[in-house]
This record gives sequence, structure tokens and C-alpha cells, in this order.
Amino acid sequence: MDLIVGIGNELRGDDGVGIRVVGALPPRPDAETIAVHQLTPELADRLRDAERVLFIDAHATDDTVRLSPLEPAAEAALLGHALSPEALLQWTRLVHGRAPEGWLLTVPARAFPFGESLSPEAECAVPEARRMALRWLGCSAPHGGVLEEDA
Amino acid sequence: MERQIHIEPVTRIEGHGKITVFLDSAGDVRDAQFHVTELRGFEQFCVGRTMWEMPGLTARICGICPVSHILASAKACDAILAVRIPETAQLLRRLMNLAQLVQSHALSFFYLSAPDFLLGWDCDPATRNVVGLIAARPDLARKGIRLRAFGQEAIDRLGGKRIHPAWAVPGGVNQALSQEDRAWMTERLPEARTTIQETLALFKSAFGDTKERDVLGDYPSLYMGLVRQDGAWEHYEGVLRIVDAKGRVVREHNPAQYAEIIQEASEPWTYLKFPYYQPMGYPEGMYRVGPLGRINACDRFDTPLAQAELEEFRAQSGGRSGRVFDYHYARLIEILAAIEEMAELLADDRITSPAIRAEAGVNAREGVGVHEAPRGTLIHHYWVDQNGIIEKLNLIVSTGHNNLAMNRAIREIAKIYIKKGKVSEGILNRIEGGIRAYDPCLSCSVHAVGRMPLRVEIVNAQGEVEATLSRD
Repeated sequence: MDLIVGIGNELRGDDGVGIRVVGALPPRPDAETIAVHQLTPELADRLRDAERVLFIDAHATDDTVRLSPLEPAAEAALLGHALSPEALLQWTRLVHGRAPEGWLLTVPARAFPFGESLSPEAECAVPEARRMALRWLGCSAPHGGVLEEDA
Repeated sequence: MERQIHIEPVTRIEGHGKITVFLDSAGDVRDAQFHVTELRGFEQFCVGRTMWEMPGLTARICGICPVSHILASAKACDAILAVRIPETAQLLRRLMNLAQLVQSHALSFFYLSAPDFLLGWDCDPATRNVVGLIAARPDLARKGIRLRAFGQEAIDRLGGKRIHPAWAVPGGVNQALSQEDRAWMTERLPEARTTIQETLALFKSAFGDTKERDVLGDYPSLYMGLVRQDGAWEHYEGVLRIVDAKGRVVREHNPAQYAEIIQEASEPWTYLKFPYYQPMGYPEGMYRVGPLGRINACDRFDTPLAQAELEEFRAQSGGRSGRVFDYHYARLIEILAAIEEMAELLADDRITSPAIRAEAGVNAREGVGVHEAPRGTLIHHYWVDQNGIIEKLNLIVSTGHNNLAMNRAIREIAKIYIKKGKVSEGILNRIEGGIRAYDPCLSCSVHAVGRMPLRVEIVNAQGEVEATLSRD
């Protein structure tokens, strides 16, 4: 089973673009999709049973949609309450003894006002992000040709 | 020459928080400011929406405290409907608020703060986190995880959906509690109670010497929290009480009339406003809310185990405590109180009644909802037209109430640990620790990906960067 996690606040403009992409994916029997405001430690329970996990998130400074592999990694103590995708993978490994293969799909984001609409840049990036997420879902090899094909 | 030290711990876009420490010409601390970007514009965003949307909409402010916002919003809407919600709805909302308190306090203590003081303030930041805690204290960490998971699962079962549960609605709640879910929670309460009692024992053994708890500063202030009519600790309704540093009652006030005693000041260097107790003026009217504010404001707990802990705490502190570090202590006592009250609520057969919602239309043009979120008093105040369309709203969030106090805490800590311009990372850890003790919710803004490392800039009066310190 694959898990796709859209991250963001839909009330803050482009911050919610990851959730928009997740919402545009068709249901599949071999994949579960969830949308979260931010990554919190208990999500480790959802990651525990997944073979692979794809996080989809907004990126404020990148110009293109990117798919990157993730490695579990610790991070310094935070002032806020959210974990990074790498730290959540690490947390899952520590708590449950294993972590799924992790990937991060980032979508260009430019504007973060209060509001539910996306900027033109983020809106334009949604179809490409959706396409890449679908290809990721169709790629069964552990580190298959997703990156090469979409680079 | 005056210098500024900037500490920028975050983030992607707006920067959830930044600290500036002002030094005088001798290199000693003159002042400190905690800059926060939070909730800017949200009130305007909600104007024109219907009141019926508000619980669900305001729940989406934050990924950490949706339950707190949904309850305060539903209470404000109850006032607009001018209804008394059914008894069972009242009990269920209380149960939900207590589950939220357990999970949120557990997150704050076990995941965010315990690594600071159980692994050591000067421990490598790369390992001074919950991952380091699970490596060093696996039993404690796993119990903390299970405690938070219990609170989260209880919310899930009550609301049917863990994040942003559209469950509390104007007039009550929209889902009754099943016997199966009641049994699930009841069966797990003993383990939760044992965990928090063990954690309290560990905490007291490590920090029984009150001097150890001076590390984050100790200063007098007012304290505010809801209490019952008889002065007992409360979290959902009751009277808004303000006490002084000695615990003497300064004021007891109807929460719906909060604006008569609380006003908000603004400063040009932060978006977060500074609420203060109006009769004492700004900034002398600084008060503190949240775990320490509540246990300092109340006379007692109505549950025996929490009451015993409160008596011990007060005996140690000589009465009320002004120590910032004692927020952690108070948080643990409140978890115990929450678990005890959850047991009482679940033992009450009214908890599973299907009578859970009062139906009504718009009967008042204004409504205030006040309750105690984990971080402190949360106020939602709405003004609507005859159709229930929001014309204006005012939100005062817990982190806002503590804004003056957090700035004071940073200044006090900086004065202890920064002298003659000498700064080390260990010192900065303590400043961060001072903020973490208040557990401010900075999640109301956008979340963070590609976070920036901690950065410290020392800037002179001419605006030139003298030195930069960084975690990486």
C-alpha cells in the first residue's frame, strides 16, 4: 500500500496547494490519500503500514515541480509543533521499527494571504504535480524511473 | 554602542517567530522582543460568512488546536441562538476539551520540552529532540506517545474525524457518544493515569529543588483563568478570574463581558497584539494564562489526585509560582486533573443520551464564546446580522494573552545568561526553552518546509551585522 500525504493550510492561499493536488488524484485500491495541516508525530501510525509514502507540499522558492527521495533524519528541537517529512520518517522508524520509502513532491507556491484561491503560478503547477504523483503511483520499482523520466 | 541580537528559528515565508535581544553599550541586556506573525487578517477573512460555518472555518485556523477553536466558536454561536444546549452536549463538549488538553499537553511536554531538560540544556541540538529522548529514555518516550495517542483517539472517536472535527455545532454537538466508544475510553483511562503519575514523580525527583526550576526566570504577574463559581479549577465555563502574584483575587468577571477588563495594545514590531488587564494599564496589566495561569488562579481542584499535587506544588512554591519553568509542572498536574474528570464524565450515564442539540435561529446579534484551550483562555466574539451573517469578529487566542509575559520571560532569561555581550548556543537554548514553556501555538500561520536553521545576528546601532551565529 502507498500513502500520499498532502500538507498545507487551505485557508492560506498557495500553502494549500499540496492538498489541492491530493484532491485531484483519483481513488486507487492500492493507495491511501490524506490531507493534513502539518506533520505531527502521530502520523507515524499511518506511515507504519505503508510501503511507500509521498508527501506533497508547497515550496516558496522553487520554480518547478520536483520529486525527490527522502531519507529519515532527525531535526533540532522546534519552537512550533510540526515535523519535517524526514523527521516524521525517522520518528516512524524509531517508534515502529521501520519506515516506508519516502518521497517529497514540491509544488511552486508564491502567495500566502488568507483565502482559498491559488496564485496563477501555483494553479498552473497543479496539473504537472498531479501527473507526477500519478506516475509515482504507477512506478512499482523501489527507486524506479520517476526521477529520470520527469527531470 | 547599542547592539541587537536576532534569533531567527524559522521558517519558510513569514517567519513564525523571531527574537531580538537588545544590548546596551556594556553588552548587557536592555530589552528583548519576540516577533510573531499569527492570525493576521483572519478576522477580516471571516466577515461575510454565515455563523453556521464558523466552527468549521475557525477550526481550520490551526492544525494543532482545531478542537479549541471549534468549541469556542460553537459557544459564541450558542449565545447568538440564545439557547441552553442539552445537558449531554455540555458533557460531551467537556469531554472533548479534556481529551484535547491531554493530547496537547502531552505533545508539549514529551515531544517538545522534555528533551530540553531531561537530555540537558547544553546537549547537542541535533539530538536534543524527541528522537534523542526516545534513544535516551525509551520507556518514558513511549509512554508519552501512548498518552498523546489516547487523547487523539478520544477526540477521533468523539468527533468522528481527528483533524478539524465538524462536531461541535451551534446548539450542541452533532454526534452522540456510542457505548463502544465510551467503553474504549474508560478502559484506557487507568493506563493514562498511571503514565502521568509516573511522569509527575519523575519530574519532581529531577526538579524537586526549586532552584533548578529558576533556570527560565521567575517574575511576578497577574494570572487569569476560568474558575467555577466556588473557585475550583475549570476549563469550559464559569467565571473569568484574575489573581495577583500572591493569589489574591483581583477580579471575577462574566466571560461574555471580557472586553470590559481586557484590552489589546499593538506594537510596530510584531503582528501579535498584547492583551492586558485594562484597570492596571499597559504594560503593567500583564497577566499569564495557560496551565500555570489556571492553577495559580484557582483555589483548588475538585478531583482528589490533582488536588493533592496542587497542594504539594503550592507548599514547595510558598503559594503561587511565578517560575516560567513551572508551566511544565502545571501542565502535568492538569493532565492528571483532565484524566480524573474524564473518568467522572464517562461514568455518568447521561453521557450517551441522544439528546445532543438545541435547534434555534438567530435570536441575538452578538455572541461571545470563552473556554480554556490548553495554552490558555480562548475568546471568540461574533457580531451577526439578522440572517446570521458575520459582520465583525474578534478572536483573542491563548498565545496572544501570554505575549507580554513571553517577552518578559525572554528578557529575564537573556539577562541571566547574556552578559558583556557573551553569547553561546546554550544560552540561546534557554531562551527557546522559555518560549517553549509557554507552548505558544505558532501554527495559525502557514506551515514550514525547507526551514531555516537557527540564526543569531548581532547588529550594531548602525544596522551593521557584527556577528552571525547559526546552528548549522
